[in-house]
Parts: sequence; structure tokens; C-alpha cells
Amino acid sequence: MISAPSIPGRTSAGLDGPPSPQLIRIRDLVYQVAGIFQPDNKLRLLEDRCLKRMQAVGATGLHDYYECLTTKPIRQVELVNLLNEITIGETCFFRNQPQLDALRNVVLPRILEARTNMALRHLRVWSAGCSTGEEPYTLSMMMMEEQSGRLAGWTFEIVATDLNERSVAHAKQGTYGTYSTRNLTPYFRQKYFTPSGDNLTVNTEVKTHVGINRLNLLDDVRMAFLKGFDIIMCCNVLIYFDVLSKRRVIQHFYNNLLPHGYLFLGHSESLYGVSEDFRLVHLPSATAYVKSEKRQVVPLGGL
Amino acid sequence: MSDQSEQLLRRLETLEEMPTIPVVLAPLLRYLEQPLDTLEVQQVVDLISQDKSLAAQCLHLANSPLYGRWHNVDNVRSAVVALGLQRMRDIAVSCSVLKLIPKGKAKLDPMVFWEHSLGCALVSRQFARRIGFADPGKAYLAGLLHDIGIVAELSVLPVEFQEAVEFARTRGVPLHEAETRTLGFTHCDVGKIVAERWHLSPDLVAVLSCHHDPQSAQQNRDLVALVSLSDLLCRMCGLGHGYIEERQVNFLEEPGFTLLLDECPSLKGFDWARFTFELEAYMEEVHRLVSVLYGGPQ
Repeated sequence: MISAPSIPGRTSAGLDGPPSPQLIRIRDLVYQVAGIFQPDNKLRLLEDRCLKRMQAVGATGLHDYYECLTTKPIRQVELVNLLNEITIGETCFFRNQPQLDALRNVVLPRILEARTNMALRHLRVWSAGCSTGEEPYTLSMMMMEEQSGRLAGWTFEIVATDLNERSVAHAKQGTYGTYSTRNLTPYFRQKYFTPSGDNLTVNTEVKTHVGINRLNLLDDVRMAFLKGFDIIMCCNVLIYFDVLSKRRVIQHFYNNLLPHGYLFLGHSESLYGVSEDFRLVHLPSATAYVKSEKRQVVPLGGL
Repeated sequence: MSDQSEQLLRRLETLEEMPTIPVVLAPLLRYLEQPLDTLEVQQVVDLISQDKSLAAQCLHLANSPLYGRWHNVDNVRSAVVALGLQRMRDIAVSCSVLKLIPKGKAKLDPMVFWEHSLGCALVSRQFARRIGFADPGKAYLAGLLHDIGIVAELSVLPVEFQEAVEFARTRGVPLHEAETRTLGFTHCDVGKIVAERWHLSPDLVAVLSCHHDPQSAQQNRDLVALVSLSDLLCRMCGLGHGYIEERQVNFLEEPGFTLLLDECPSLKGFDWARFTFELEAYMEEVHRLVSVLYGGPQ
């Protein structure tokens, strides 16, 4: 008889036993409704987040909480609360490094190639739902770095928008605490930030590439005016929209992007079942969406 | 193919350094071809228990959630009973194959290679289940063995193969493209030689020799296509050959996709995004399993 091996990584899958079917139901519901997926290794985390919300709403168990998310009158509010828990801590500099690497090493060369015949050597990037500004400033720093490489001789601008007025003000201010700056390497800290007390403030040269404004993505008139983008980043924003609103925004994005344009969503966020306007492409350890070909889209917003 | 490439391939065919089929693998593979209900638990238990280190490794896999087990099984018999013969055979085949690379000789990190192989086995099986492919067990085995040609290259042509790996790594291109440039043949050509020498079944021969060009397969194109897509997905999700392939892939335009669609119509509406996100959990567990199998109990 062979003795049992020790099982040191027993909890590495995130659970001590098989995941509860109720938890899987909640995971699937969140994916179906919001489009954000929690893989098996994140189920423990999802369970913790559900437990926190269950306490807040007084749910007696996961089954009861599932009811809160689906049939009880609070369901819409509660889904937003759970999504807030799921995406908590997502706002920081260099939040998704594989995505940034893929953008820089695979997407950027493809965009530059597609633009070979366009006279203007100027890139336009839109951070749609930029929150407090970490994402657009990260992009600005990354592209400034590339200006001595692939983007030599190019200029660029980053349009950053968010619905929340306080977030927009914070983004314009550009001062961040230790939590937001936790992923910054010493190189980026020194080159692009100025310390102010315990905080770091983004240098003016980084800011000059970034224009920050308040915008509601469902504002058809203003959305119709945003044109000619090479890249749109829209992370953890569409998850809060119902399917019709998602479709509206996606159709705008389709019109806002140049033919070779790329749409990036948040980590584990998907457009499956939402829109045929875009098709999924795989990049190294990341995914993105490119425009589907031969598709006529009617402009929205009465223009 | 150039004279030099032919010479290299001939070396592979004639040299005795060619990896031999692991002792336990041949009977296990034979069992795999039999209908499940003709198998006896004791036969499989005896076969695995012959080799104590193999048995211990099997228990590590048997206790992993990726093989569907959540409670501790502490001996081969209870593992077979708890997991079923099908799963236990998958596990035993995996462990016996994982012993193949001679330690110290390999230039390519064997851990990375086996993470890719085990990952591809699991992804092929899961993918097969999702799209209603007839034989998920066969998909697992095919995924596990698809790159076995690399083991032969490592054993027989370590220097030449290392050049190919370096070429691929520095340019961020797929390994088979680098092999074509530097060796004049690929691990698929070599895999075909190994598969025939090991007397693997024709469907496995097809996978080993055609997974980078599924359209060239004469038979079992659906299985070849399935493994080809799973392999690509693993490589794009960080379970590749230890370097980043700097490229963009649209699975709907892959030749394997069109081939597989004929066989599995449900592939048409397949949610590639969700399947990709699911692999994040696989990666973590595959890393852990391979490090336990290679590093011994931690």
C-alpha cells in the first residue's frame, strides 16, 4: 500500500472542498448579467465578497443571497453592490501588466502598420471610465516610453472620461496614495512622479498628453462626437450596464474607433452575447476586441 | 527538405538515445483502447502499484481538483474507486509520461514542457466536453502526448534544438516556425517517428504529426483540430513553451476551427472568452502539480 503524499497545496485552488453549487450559480449569474467571470481559483474570493454582502443585506445563506440577486426587489441595487466588491482595488497604476505588454508589443506595431498610409503620425487613445485617472496616466507613461522606440516621431493624446465628478476632479489633480501606486516600479516613480508628503503626484509632462472630462457613455449626442480613436480602454464599466445600454455603448465604440482600432475591456470581462460588432482576439495572456468586418452600423444620437 | 535536415532526421530515427516508451505506458495505452466495462479495478491498481514512485505521483494528481477529487485519497485502490477507471488511467498515463525527460540533459526546462503538456491535456479534455466531442478521454491523452516529439529532439539533438528554442524566444514566434527555419523540420515530424516507434494508435499518430497543420491530417482530423486549438489556447494563456509568442490570434480564423466545426456544430456559438478566463485556474493548479511531481512532496 502506498502512503498518502502530503497535500501542501490543498487550498491553492482556493477552496477546501468542492465549490458550493450556489456559489457557482452566483458566479454564472454575474457572468451572464454583467459579463465578468470569476475563475475557479477566485471562487474563495467571490465567496468572501458574497459573505460580506450577505451580512449587509441580512441574507441567511448563499441560496438566500442568490434570491437577493435575482428575485427580491433589491436585486438591481444588490448586483451593483456585489460588482463593486468584485472590482474593489482594481484602480491602480499598471493594473493589468499582461494587457499593457500585449498593447505595447503586439497591438501598437499592428496599429502603426495599419496607419502606414495615413499622413498624420498621431495616435488617439480613449480611457472610457477612467475613474481617478490611474489608467490614462499609465497609458501616457507607457507611450512616452515608446516615443524613444516604436513611437519615435509620433505624437499621441489620451482622452479620459468618467461619469463621476469627484473621480474626474481627483484624476485632474493627479495625486495618489500608496495603494494606487503599489505596482509602480522605482523607475516609473522617479521618472514620472513628484513626492508630496506620503503621496505621489503625476508630473506635468505626463498630464499634458491626457485630457480629462466628465462624460456619460449613454449620452448619445456627445458620444457621437468622439471620433478617430486607435484604442479604447473600457475596464469594469460595462459590467454595470444592462444589455441594451451595453449594446448602445458598444455601437458607439464601433463608430468611435478607426477601422484598425482595438477595444480593451477589464480583466475577465467579456462581450459574449452582447454584440456582433466586435470579434474577440487573443493576445499573449490578454484578450481584446477588433471591429468585425463588412458591418454597417447606423450612427446613434440622431446625427 | 535540405540534405542537412534529412541527416538530422535520420539521426533521430537511428539513434538509440531515442526515448523508449515508459514501461507502464504501453499496457496503460492498451487498456485505454478497451471498453471501460471490460476493465478490472485490480488490474489497474496492480499496474500502477508496480512502480512506487509512479503510484505516489498518481496520488498527487488524484488529490487535485483538476481531476475532480476534493477529499484526500491515500492509496491507489481508493483513488481508482473514488475517481473511476477513466480518470485514474488519465492520471497514470500522465505520470508515466512525465518521467520521460532525463534530468540535467534538457536545455528546455522540463517543468515548463510538462506544464504545457499537462495543461494541454486538461484543456483538450475540457474543450471536448464543452463542445460535445465524442471522446474527451482520447482528447486528454492526445493533448498530453502532442508534443512528445520535443522529448526526442531534446534527447537526440539537444544542441540543434536549443538553437531553435533560442530563435523562437528572441523573435517571439511559435516553436514549430523556428524549428522549420533552423532545423528544417519540426517536432511534428519527430513526433511522427516517436509515435510509430511506440506503436501508438493511428489517431494519436495523426495528432503528434499534424497538430500544427490539422488540414494535412489524413484521418481523425477532428481530434487533431481539437488538440491544435487547445495547444494554441494554452500558448496564448501563459502555458506555452516558457516564452511569449508576440502575436494576435483569432480562433475563428484558425484552420482547426473550421475542421472541428463540421464535427461539433455547437462550436459555432462557443464562448471563447469565458473558456479563456477559466484557464486562469488551470494555470495555477498545473504549476503546482508539476512542481510537486518534479520536486517531490513539499
